[in-house]
Amino acid sequence: MRRKRCLTQDCEVKPLLEIRNLRVSYGNDTVLDGIDLDLSSGETLAIIGESGTGKTTLGMSIMRLTEGKVRGSIKFDGKDLLALSEEEMRRIRWNRVAMVFQNVNNVLNPVYSVLEQVAEPIVEHGLRNKEEARERARELLAMVGLSSSRLSACPHQLSGGEQQRVLLAMALANDPELLILDEPLSSLDVATRSELADLLKNDNGRRARLVVTHNLDTAGKLADRLAVLYGGRIVEIGGTQDILQYPRHPYTRALIRAYPNMTTVKDLQGIKGRMSRPVSGCSFHPRCTQVIDICRREPPELSWNQGRAVACHRGGIVTILSVENLSKNFGTLKAVNSVNMRIEAGETLALVGQSGSGKTTLAKTIIGLHQPSQGEIFFDGVKVIGRGKDFYRKVQMIFQNPGESLSHRLSVLELVMEPLEVQGIGNKEERRQKAIKVIGEVELPQAEDFINKYPHHLSGGEMQRVAIARALVLDPVLLIADEPTAFLDASVEAKILKLLLNLQESRGLSILYITHNIAAARKVSDRIAVMLDGRIVEEGPSNLVVTAPKHAYTRRLLQTASSLHRFETGVTQ
Amino acid sequence: MHIDLKKEIRESNPGQIGIVILILVVVLAVAAPIIGRYDPIQQSAATLLSPSQNHWLGTNHVGQDIWSQLLYGARTSLLVGFSVGILGLLLSILFGMSSALIGGIYDRVIMRIVDAFIIIPMVIVVILVAAYIKPSLLLLISLLSVLTWPGGARVIRAQTLSLKQSGHISASRTFGAGWLYIAWRHILPDLMPILLVEFIYGVRRAVFMEAGLAFLGIGDPMVVSWGTMMHDALRFSYLDVWRWWLVPAGVALSLTIIGLTFISHAAEAVLDPRLRGEAVA
Amino acid sequence: MKAIKHNLVTYGIAFLFIVALNFILPRMMPGNPLTAIYGDEALIAMTPELKAHLVERFALDKPLWEQFGAYFIAIFRGDLGYSYYYNAPVLKVILGHLPWTLLLVGSSLVLSTILGLMLGIESGWRRGSKTDRTLLAGLMSLNGFPDFFVGMILLLVFGVMLGFFPLAGALTPYSGISGLSLVLDVLKHMALPVAALTLAHLASGYLLTRNTMITVLKAPFMLTAKAKGLSQKVLKYRHAGRNSMLPVITMTGIRLGRVVTGALFVELVFAYPGVGQLTYQALLSRDYPVIQGVFLMVAISVLLANCAVDLLYPKIDPRVSYAY
Repeated sequence: MRRKRCLTQDCEVKPLLEIRNLRVSYGNDTVLDGIDLDLSSGETLAIIGESGTGKTTLGMSIMRLTEGKVRGSIKFDGKDLLALSEEEMRRIRWNRVAMVFQNVNNVLNPVYSVLEQVAEPIVEHGLRNKEEARERARELLAMVGLSSSRLSACPHQLSGGEQQRVLLAMALANDPELLILDEPLSSLDVATRSELADLLKNDNGRRARLVVTHNLDTAGKLADRLAVLYGGRIVEIGGTQDILQYPRHPYTRALIRAYPNMTTVKDLQGIKGRMSRPVSGCSFHPRCTQVIDICRREPPELSWNQGRAVACHRGGIVTILSVENLSKNFGTLKAVNSVNMRIEAGETLALVGQSGSGKTTLAKTIIGLHQPSQGEIFFDGVKVIGRGKDFYRKVQMIFQNPGESLSHRLSVLELVMEPLEVQGIGNKEERRQKAIKVIGEVELPQAEDFINKYPHHLSGGEMQRVAIARALVLDPVLLIADEPTAFLDASVEAKILKLLLNLQESRGLSILYITHNIAAARKVSDRIAVMLDGRIVEEGPSNLVVTAPKHAYTRRLLQTASSLHRFETGVTQ
Repeated sequence: MHIDLKKEIRESNPGQIGIVILILVVVLAVAAPIIGRYDPIQQSAATLLSPSQNHWLGTNHVGQDIWSQLLYGARTSLLVGFSVGILGLLLSILFGMSSALIGGIYDRVIMRIVDAFIIIPMVIVVILVAAYIKPSLLLLISLLSVLTWPGGARVIRAQTLSLKQSGHISASRTFGAGWLYIAWRHILPDLMPILLVEFIYGVRRAVFMEAGLAFLGIGDPMVVSWGTMMHDALRFSYLDVWRWWLVPAGVALSLTIIGLTFISHAAEAVLDPRLRGEAVA
Repeated sequence: MKAIKHNLVTYGIAFLFIVALNFILPRMMPGNPLTAIYGDEALIAMTPELKAHLVERFALDKPLWEQFGAYFIAIFRGDLGYSYYYNAPVLKVILGHLPWTLLLVGSSLVLSTILGLMLGIESGWRRGSKTDRTLLAGLMSLNGFPDFFVGMILLLVFGVMLGFFPLAGALTPYSGISGLSLVLDVLKHMALPVAALTLAHLASGYLLTRNTMITVLKAPFMLTAKAKGLSQKVLKYRHAGRNSMLPVITMTGIRLGRVVTGALFVELVFAYPGVGQLTYQALLSRDYPVIQGVFLMVAISVLLANCAVDLLYPKIDPRVSYAY
């Protein structure tokens, strides 16, 4: 996947804005570390990043308003803005490139009326005389929905929504070709937000727009294309809806998971670790769920594929496990019938089906408790033939009934230490320490009197936690959870599910979650696969499967799923 | 916020200069009996002598040694300045803090009085009073203190109000601490930077006023003051004597005030972090 | 940047205080109140009829409250007493001297405010540069010189040594000139006193403006203005300058008080025939009615000026509204 010369969707038209290798630093702090972007007339591109990622700096750099050191090139209509003199730049500002600033306190001059402030750039750039400028200002303010009685008011007398409108009208005053919007909707209440979003969408079609925001919703509403910024670099770029539904970079996926919205059904999860700039390599690698050696050494480049690009040495989120045409027969019974399935790194795939559907068999086949009759299993791209100790270091399983899967002879500590002993890792003391650490991770007490207890003295929930600890002690990459809450009370079930989500967040685990309960599945999974009579009949992102099921069986599952509220028709939410 | 006021002042350029000047003045004042060779009030030689070996700055119209007068004048200025500074500050703290802590009508009344006092020019009030009651130094100090406290009271009240809401003070109240205890233990220490700044302002104002009043002839006639020196010297401006009579007094006065100004400038910068980093050419 | 809004009650209290002070002081002195009001020497020369008349006029034989009432009413009638020395009503005497003081005070206040603003804006704009640091050092030092000392130096250098300006008075006496020459004469005489007052009070306005300017330059709207592609001039004056002016304007009332007191001293130095000179003479000759009258007039003028500023301020700073 090589980088194409043009970075926009439509390669025929020369882009209005071409940014190449933009680097901005403040002292020793590098905020932007090599940004490449293109923007064409009529396009709206959203830059998504959390606070401190440098997205505001990006907008400011285009207008040459940053105080930091700027290197690289920003070509606007062919001319490099960074090479212009201050006077030339001043003429470009507002006339050709304008900015809708973030609506903070005192972003507008407190002693002048809003009408004057909107008219000011028109007059100062010599576009019209004072009278005409005021007329135009009145038009603009009316267009953005500011009532005419507020025209002579001063900024502090206006509400947040009104101020945002003024900022917008002011930015449009000289009819710029490029409009940069910095968090244009963040300070607004929901109703005003959608009103302004519509306003922005209906604005001049030829204008190019760059929307800078941390808010996925804003990006979704306003932009055609989306670029995700992390650690001063763009890690993913492509069509907005495409990225939001099918993110390819681990950070993008995590961002979406962390963002409360009406679309995602999975419970909120954070991202492991904290934002920091590692000395070398990919800026995301300390928090990534699929790090390999090169990630620590070299920063990845954006690589393109059909209008989308991801900056990742592994080409985006990798598939950790995939099965192709897998079948398992017990005599004539085809328990697992030609199944194709994949699990991506760092995600939870829920395998939903009723008893007898073959889901447990599938799980056991994957982990090696059954031999497949047909088909192949691939782990991290490599075909799985035998399963040696290496395999079990990476894939672990939790069973339905902890009362059975935990030996009654061993204490909690011994149970958790067992895999370490089997694998011969470390000496006795190290194993003990490691086991105790993991016991703490599953939120069990680490005190002596607890870890020396025997399983039959524990509650169901505690036993399952021990089982999870045992599974985690080898630091696996993939965890197969076979109906882990089947034998537990509802309140305990909730806690275990929460625990699994947290562990996924902190360890970057991939999870294959097997259940008959589609309601629980949607809360913990990124993707759902529905299994019926040994076949996968439907598969897709959780929110889509749950709201727009394609297969009749899925529909039936949803209809009969637990619901505390009775609806008139169709699918339960 | 933890501000080390003394450190900040010491480290700023104007602050350093100011401190140096002030130390110089204090040293001269204290050493007056030693460095000044004559009793400034006694006539020690003929009148209106030019500077000489015996009289470094010559003598004035009644034969007093000007150099000694200059040194003793420093004592007066510093004495009045610091006394008024402290007294005024104490009054400011008393009224400002109590106003903030007690609140209610008491607060409103005190603040009205404070506002009223602030608008009235202090100097003419003193002139009026002095016209009727010949002020001794003590009376002058008292009068100036009474007139100067409203300025600081406002600021102290404002700070106390905001501190009142702060976390650690609320915590103290939950231990059962009374307001007096809290004022002494928590509020006063936190107010230190502001108190210091107000103190310096007070000293500066007082030095200025004392000299000005002496200049008008309203001061205590028994006391040597730079203001009086300038007043007397002015009458002889047609002679050459002003060079060593008027100018040293004026310069001494001005330097003292400048020193105080510089220190307060540095102190202000500390309290308002936006002004930090001032260097003087 | 909020102003301290004095409301009417405050002015009322201040006014009462002034009047009360004026009233109480003479009556606190031992002896005959008439002595206190007019002083020993004046009384000696008074006829008994005059004394009786004055006693009646000031209701000195009546209870204190009635005296105060009489005094209060007298003030509102414009009756500030009678100066024995000038042999004229105090009000008339003061009004005779007032114009000169107004001339000095007015010019100095205006000049020092405008200059202070201009220099403060330029200094703040170029913070840290050589210009700024020099101005800052220079003006801070200047701030330390009392106005009368500045006056004296100016007098000695430009008047005595260089002879550019006259040494005393507001006019050349007995010159009989009029028209333009008269105006020039007046200007020549007021040049040094006004210069002294202006220089002495320049620093406070300058420092305040400069500090405000430094703060304002960091405000978000300055970046917005720069983004609009506005010229340096517009940024400096229309945006930053306009916002930096406000505190100095607020302080006008207080600065007026300071300039007026300064004028008292400066008039002395330059033998300028204004109210300050009058006060000094009155102090020397114990002309209490005049002293009281001056005090009253000056204090009330300052009060009125403050009041006026408070009323006008909301017009220039839209963030502040009437809170009476």
